[in-house]
Amino acid sequence: MPSVQLFATCLGDLVLPEAVADAETLLRRAGFDVVFPRRQVCCGQPAFNSGHHAAARRVARGFVRAFSRELPIVCPSGSCATMASHYLPELVGVEPFEVWELSAFLVHAGFRPLPRNTGRRVAYHDSCHMLRELNVSAQPRKLLRASGAELVSFSRPDLCCGFGGTFSVRQPEVSVAMADEKLAGAGGATIVTSDPGCLMHLRGRAERAGGPDVVHLATALVRSASG
Amino acid sequence: MAELAQPPRRFREIARVKLADAHIQTALDDSTDRLRTHRLHAWSDLPEVQELRQRAHEIRMSVIDDLDGHVERFTAALSARGGNVYFARTAEEASEYVANVCRRRGAKLAAKSKSMVSEEIGLNQALEAVGTQAIETDLGEYILQLAGEHPVHIVAPAIEKTAEDVAELLSAVRGKRIPPHLEELTNAARTQLRETFLNADVGITGVNFAVSETGSICLCTNEGNGRLVSSIPPVHVAIMGMERLVPTTADLAVLLKLLARSGTGQKLTVYTTLLTGPRRAGETDGPEELHVVILDNGRTNLLRGRYREMLACIRCGACLNVCPVYRKTGGAAYSDVYSGPMGAVLLPLLVGLQHAPSLPHASSLCGACTEACPVKIPLHELLLDLRRDLVAEGVASWAERVSFWLWSWAWSRPFGYRASTALARLGQPLAGLVGPGRAWARVRALPRLGRRYRDRR
Repeated sequence: MPSVQLFATCLGDLVLPEAVADAETLLRRAGFDVVFPRRQVCCGQPAFNSGHHAAARRVARGFVRAFSRELPIVCPSGSCATMASHYLPELVGVEPFEVWELSAFLVHAGFRPLPRNTGRRVAYHDSCHMLRELNVSAQPRKLLRASGAELVSFSRPDLCCGFGGTFSVRQPEVSVAMADEKLAGAGGATIVTSDPGCLMHLRGRAERAGGPDVVHLATALVRSASG
Repeated sequence: MAELAQPPRRFREIARVKLADAHIQTALDDSTDRLRTHRLHAWSDLPEVQELRQRAHEIRMSVIDDLDGHVERFTAALSARGGNVYFARTAEEASEYVANVCRRRGAKLAAKSKSMVSEEIGLNQALEAVGTQAIETDLGEYILQLAGEHPVHIVAPAIEKTAEDVAELLSAVRGKRIPPHLEELTNAARTQLRETFLNADVGITGVNFAVSETGSICLCTNEGNGRLVSSIPPVHVAIMGMERLVPTTADLAVLLKLLARSGTGQKLTVYTTLLTGPRRAGETDGPEELHVVILDNGRTNLLRGRYREMLACIRCGACLNVCPVYRKTGGAAYSDVYSGPMGAVLLPLLVGLQHAPSLPHASSLCGACTEACPVKIPLHELLLDLRRDLVAEGVASWAERVSFWLWSWAWSRPFGYRASTALARLGQPLAGLVGPGRAWARVRALPRLGRRYRDRR
């Protein structure tokens, strides 16, 4: 059986452990042995996006030590996949790794999800890194449709949800104004996304100010879009 | 002069005010959406738009790689056609030169068409000091002048004003009630401005592009005011940033194909005026004197490294219209002159990071700006580079640097990660009380830290 390395990401490990477990389930169902490198921590993105390159490099070197180049790396986060594939190699000065965002990997592997969302209305939120840097936007939608979901479009699918890493705490007022618009734009449908950052921000805001459920793609595919 | 330096708190403070104003939020949403949609339509009508963007990028970079050479060639070509060229190193030098022209001509009235560079150098105040009244003739700029405000968008300066706001301002000038209908508002402004065009002693314009080969300047306007201002008064002063140059008229055609399409979705602006020197013997139109002021004002700072790409900017405003941050905050949060992603990149480079420390962080780095830029400036990556420089140059706060250092020390080894996150889990009840946790928790629920995935496996 072919194998993949699962990169949980720090937010996945700490804040969304169920979503990571669901990602692992999907990879096994798709016919892969899942290896979890025990030494993994984080790709260094929080520091990198704040301009602290030395700090980012120190943490990113841990990523380089933890993962092997023999097997593809799959991660349930668009922005961490972007960091690990696009920015980390240059930052640390190493050869690129084979890094996949979960939905792109599953579609590439020909995976068909179970019909967990028959008749459910969901709005898929593109994380900016995944949309504009990885160019992955069709794959998560394809998986959701295959699971029976009815996809509704955001009024402005191109708009960022306002997370933006430390932007969310440097400019909290603007950040949540962007979240409110995103939450309202789903027209009452459950929001599904592939990025733990966007998810934590949108869910946290919805909990505080009201709004639809926000669910990780892996969870929507293993259980259902109602979580 | 207009202050380009921005105190660290300005962005957040002004953003808060704008967010609380439902009227401005609606105006920003509607206007940016409209401009953005028009651009997307205009781009989709242009089958070769991606090749054109690449070509435009190459043209702009070829100028920037030999900027001195282009300034020299332009100066020689225009001087040969009887124009005066003045190179101003600073805003003060530029304002002083224009003020001297006005003083020498005993000018009482200067008619201005839209120029962001004139805003940058605070020209109107400098002219006032020598007794020349400057009147804006671009409708949006005129409205703002009446309101005593600064432009909040580089292309649509009065984007936050509604028809009702404009009616109120114009009614005060005309001394009678003008109803808030587009046609009547335009008529009222036209009647008022007609006098200015006819009586002005000096006409002042910006420059959209200047052609180094021919010494021509190109003005793009929709109201025709640029053409009147540059042809009726006996003196025409045009002010341009030193990076406005393009090599040839063929290159100009490429950029004109993209400028209006990207800014407003038009194929071309209603008026595209190409001027080469003042009126010559035997000609009936045009000014007796033409002065072109070429402004540096910090632009040569951008020539180092990757930031030179910012000099390729053609000031179309496309990045503002797609920016999810700009459409919430409006332009004033960034500065009184430049705003949105282009402003967030340009201002710190012009004045130094320590004088605009919050602007590189005034973005969620979503990349919509880079995607919309017709000359392919990697705006969000330049913001990322500026953040790196904030840290490298010691502008980022001590607390921030210590926090990231401690974080990286702990998270560079699995043990440190496990220990620090176990502590964080214990400290959860306090997380919302200090620092970033507090900023988060004020407006959002904090996530709950349970058993880590790695411990469940």
